[in-house]
Amino acid sequence: MVAQFLDIITTAAFLYVVSSGLLLVFGVMKIINFAHGAMLTLGGYAALLCTKAGLNPWLGLPLAALIGGLAGILVERLAVRPLYARPLDAILATWGLGIVIGQLITLYFGRGVQFAEAPLTGTVNVLGESYSIYRLSVVAVAAALGGVLTLILRGTRLGLETRAVIMNEDLARGLGINSRLVRFLTFTLGSALAGIAGMLITPISSIDPNMGVPWLVNAFMLVLVSGHSLTTLVVSCLVLGGAQVLVSAYVNPILGGLTIAVLAAIILRIRPEGFARA
Amino acid sequence: MSAALHVSDLTCGYGESVVIQDLSFDLAHGEILAVLGKNGMGKSTLLRTIMGFLRKQTGRVELNGRDISVAAPYRIARLGVGYVAQEKALFQDLTVEENIRLAVHGRSYAQALDAVKKVFPFLLERRSQRAGTLSGGEQKMLLMARTLATGARVMLVDEITEGLQPKMVARIGDAVRQAREVHGASFLVVEQHLGFALDVADRYLVIQNGEIILSGDCRESGASSQIAKYLSL
Amino acid sequence: MLENTETVTRPKARASGETWRALAPAIAIALVGAAVIGIGPYVLDSYSLSVLTRSLLYAAVALTVDLLWGYMGILTFGQSAFFAAGAYAAGLIFSHVGFSPATAPLALVGGVVVALVLAGIVGWLAFWHGATNLYASVITLVLPIVCTQLIFSGGNFTGSSSGLSGFESFDLSMEAWFWLSGSFLTAITAMAWLLVNSDAGRVLVAIRENEQRCQYLGIDTPRVKTLIFLLCAVIGAIAGYIFAGYAMVVSPELAGFVFGTELVIWTALGGRATLIGPVLGTLLVDYESAQLSGDYPFVWKLIIGSAFVLVIVAFPRGLLPLVSGAASRIGRHVLPGGTGERAVSVPRLLALPVSDAQGTEAGSGPALKVSGVRKSFGSLTVLDGIDFRAHAGELVSLVGPNGAGKTTLMRCIADGTERTSGEVVVNGHDLGRATPERCVALGVGRKFQTANVFDTLTVAECLRLARSRHERPSLWRRRDVLHLPEASLHVVRVTGLASRLGEEARLLSHGLKQALELAMVLALEPRVVLLDEPTAGLTKAERTQIGSILTDIVRTRGLCVLLVEHDLGFVREISSRVIVLHQGRILLDGSVDDVVSSELVASVYTGAVNLEHTA
Repeated sequence: MVAQFLDIITTAAFLYVVSSGLLLVFGVMKIINFAHGAMLTLGGYAALLCTKAGLNPWLGLPLAALIGGLAGILVERLAVRPLYARPLDAILATWGLGIVIGQLITLYFGRGVQFAEAPLTGTVNVLGESYSIYRLSVVAVAAALGGVLTLILRGTRLGLETRAVIMNEDLARGLGINSRLVRFLTFTLGSALAGIAGMLITPISSIDPNMGVPWLVNAFMLVLVSGHSLTTLVVSCLVLGGAQVLVSAYVNPILGGLTIAVLAAIILRIRPEGFARA
Repeated sequence: MSAALHVSDLTCGYGESVVIQDLSFDLAHGEILAVLGKNGMGKSTLLRTIMGFLRKQTGRVELNGRDISVAAPYRIARLGVGYVAQEKALFQDLTVEENIRLAVHGRSYAQALDAVKKVFPFLLERRSQRAGTLSGGEQKMLLMARTLATGARVMLVDEITEGLQPKMVARIGDAVRQAREVHGASFLVVEQHLGFALDVADRYLVIQNGEIILSGDCRESGASSQIAKYLSL
Repeated sequence: MLENTETVTRPKARASGETWRALAPAIAIALVGAAVIGIGPYVLDSYSLSVLTRSLLYAAVALTVDLLWGYMGILTFGQSAFFAAGAYAAGLIFSHVGFSPATAPLALVGGVVVALVLAGIVGWLAFWHGATNLYASVITLVLPIVCTQLIFSGGNFTGSSSGLSGFESFDLSMEAWFWLSGSFLTAITAMAWLLVNSDAGRVLVAIRENEQRCQYLGIDTPRVKTLIFLLCAVIGAIAGYIFAGYAMVVSPELAGFVFGTELVIWTALGGRATLIGPVLGTLLVDYESAQLSGDYPFVWKLIIGSAFVLVIVAFPRGLLPLVSGAASRIGRHVLPGGTGERAVSVPRLLALPVSDAQGTEAGSGPALKVSGVRKSFGSLTVLDGIDFRAHAGELVSLVGPNGAGKTTLMRCIADGTERTSGEVVVNGHDLGRATPERCVALGVGRKFQTANVFDTLTVAECLRLARSRHERPSLWRRRDVLHLPEASLHVVRVTGLASRLGEEARLLSHGLKQALELAMVLALEPRVVLLDEPTAGLTKAERTQIGSILTDIVRTRGLCVLLVEHDLGFVREISSRVIVLHQGRILLDGSVDDVVSSELVASVYTGAVNLEHTA
């Protein structure tokens, strides 16, 4: 029971880390960034670079954020900005850039599966169950990330402007807000978050050029059921991530892998706004 | 000395349809100019075009002698044009304070609050209330206050009196006049409310099918009946 | 243009013209396809032949992506699932039951049925009133992921990750497989060509252009989308079945999301909404992939990915229109489906015989009865307890200052899902919660405030769309005649639209667009016509013309017209009754004189008087 509870919490934490950047981008730009998966992959390879250089694995975190953010700047300029008026095409163009990034990684690192050193190893005793320290630490990281993002959105001028652009972009522009800059910064931040998430998932996922894709689809579905709210995203991650853990445990792990996508699709059919404003 | 806002030969519209045709007028410093006309005659389109939301097809718009014809809306706002849209002009889910803070650039927030305090002090007491929970009239006053807080010198105001009770309309009128006295601001006021427009404005323009068909001094006797004729009332 | 609108038909001569015009390009495609396919085995080496056989089948699936995405605007990532359904049906039955003349057709039928079931589920999930295009894409993205995982979880039965191989299949030569695949692709392409260039094909484009207007023309767009989706699923399954028979191996990748997106990439590169482009794009890219990926596997994918991004950003119409555009400039020769002007044939206008063609009988009661209609957004009440009746032969004007709720009231009458509460009865039929297309069927026609027509369709095509509820559009040809009810024909004639039937609607003046939309609404043969500012932005002459048309059709056809209008002068000229709305309530309901002479109304308009604020 305890282990299962911890599984649900930690799974939700991983999902939250992976989808928060995508949610920010979706909120401000109303498009789904399909290059998010490739940015997760870049984060994974940042962890690999750290391992190869013999650095402290935690240093992978800023490195992944940097690489993800830089990739985000490129994607925003090349694919997102020109396609502002064609959101479905923006999905395709970001997917195309995701392929390009994936192939560049393959050319440099090869297509084989590799592993990075985990920042934390070993287990800790929680109420009589020994449990992975690393998985628990990700809960703390997710909480910290959520806290920082909320602080930025609630407590800074940029956050206020970002929320204003999410709510009504035209009105914000009329009040003197450079929404193009807000979009650019949001996309860069979202991509940096993707890099961080990619680094964080390396201990539970192998590193290969396609490692981001399965995470991308789940993140995508979680964002769609969460709308534009980071708080709602916590709920979605707990509910759908929890369902995934339970189905994997009691039914079959393969169906468990489908739980988030299928449940989210059905939720959206019944209630198009998902968990938002629930 | 150049006009606060100078519009010459402005033509604009949506896609291939032209809504405003070769429109020219000047708004002097400290002047209040009412733009009147029936619905669908391009009054709101005119404001949206001056504000840069719509691409001008031809013509020129100058702010204090500076060409703003191709500037982005946020640049125009920061150059000192305050815009109050007819609909959805407030962030309903943000607080009163956040709504004001968003509009203020390049001057201290304390200064901005000071400007609000002079016209609608009650808003400061309710600064942490969500704008959407204010009454209709209070929302209009917040709109007015927000624009004044920015220190904008040219205000574009689109049908602010719509759906307001007479008492509220009077308060809005006072705020407009006060802004002119205190800040020397100029106003372009698009209105359906003929009484309010004639009361508050110095001059008026009547627009029909994208062209000015009548203009004059609001103090002239008979202005009201002459305009009313054109508005088919 | 009276010569255009005769009432005597010469069906035979006309039919043969229609038939020939429709069939000629399709026959050309079939002949060219057959020639190329026929020659293929004699000029290609066996490796190329085997690769191209696969490419031909992939191209058939890419064609379904083009139908859905290029023509209808449904971006689909999931067509791979249907291909896999056909392939796995063959693989599973041939592996577990064995190959025999009995099981071979059984497997085909099985594959098609599974594909249909999958497509039905997707259709139910993705296409419903109010669903967004993004949501539909999401569902097509989930589909291949679910299918792949199901195959993985099938253990020995499905061969899990390694798939099924070594099963027996048709004993055909390499050439025969090539011919079979090529003939299948050619046939599918020719049929798709017929469909998209037919009158029904215009419906697909119209849905992409403006789905809302389609619904208000009574077209059940979720149903049309689902039907096309089912059709595409069948094509995919047959292609997959042929693939399994030829390759004698099936693997989970066939169902996958990666293959699904590759199909989109090929379609985009070739040129969406051209049919030929996606086919050529698939053949070229897949064939080249096989040739080059041995030597430069990653670089090749990198190039394709970059080209894809470039095409999406800079040449969204794809490469075929670019190439054929250049070719036509050089040789004045236009490839089929290129950027060249569509050959536009202008149909003859015919008056519909006067008969009660529509399903709703004229009842004895009021044409329109609105009781207790309320609409609120959250805590904001826009309409509050609206009650009124309007009878056939009445032209009721709805006036009131901005924000009074006039347009909202129109919407609440024409779309049952919009109302918060209250009842709307048209000719004795309670509209209930009916969607717009159901409301149209019950006799409601709505004209939007801004001219709402199909920009890239011709005037004649727009009008035919409005008739599609009564006259099922042909699936393979353009009809030479267009039957319009008298009222609609009247508008088309007197406004001069009749002489511009072949022009795209976006080229019309603002006034003619308004007139076209009015003609479209009248072509629905409505009992109750809702017109939202039909004269906004019109010249004085145009307004007078619309006014006389309206009074004429109300008088002679017994229609009930509800008109939102700001110009009180215009209202005075044409209305039989006026309802004044103010702040979501009816302020006055009376004769034109009552309203015009009412001090209250005048003061509401100038804003001098305001009622108690209720927001």
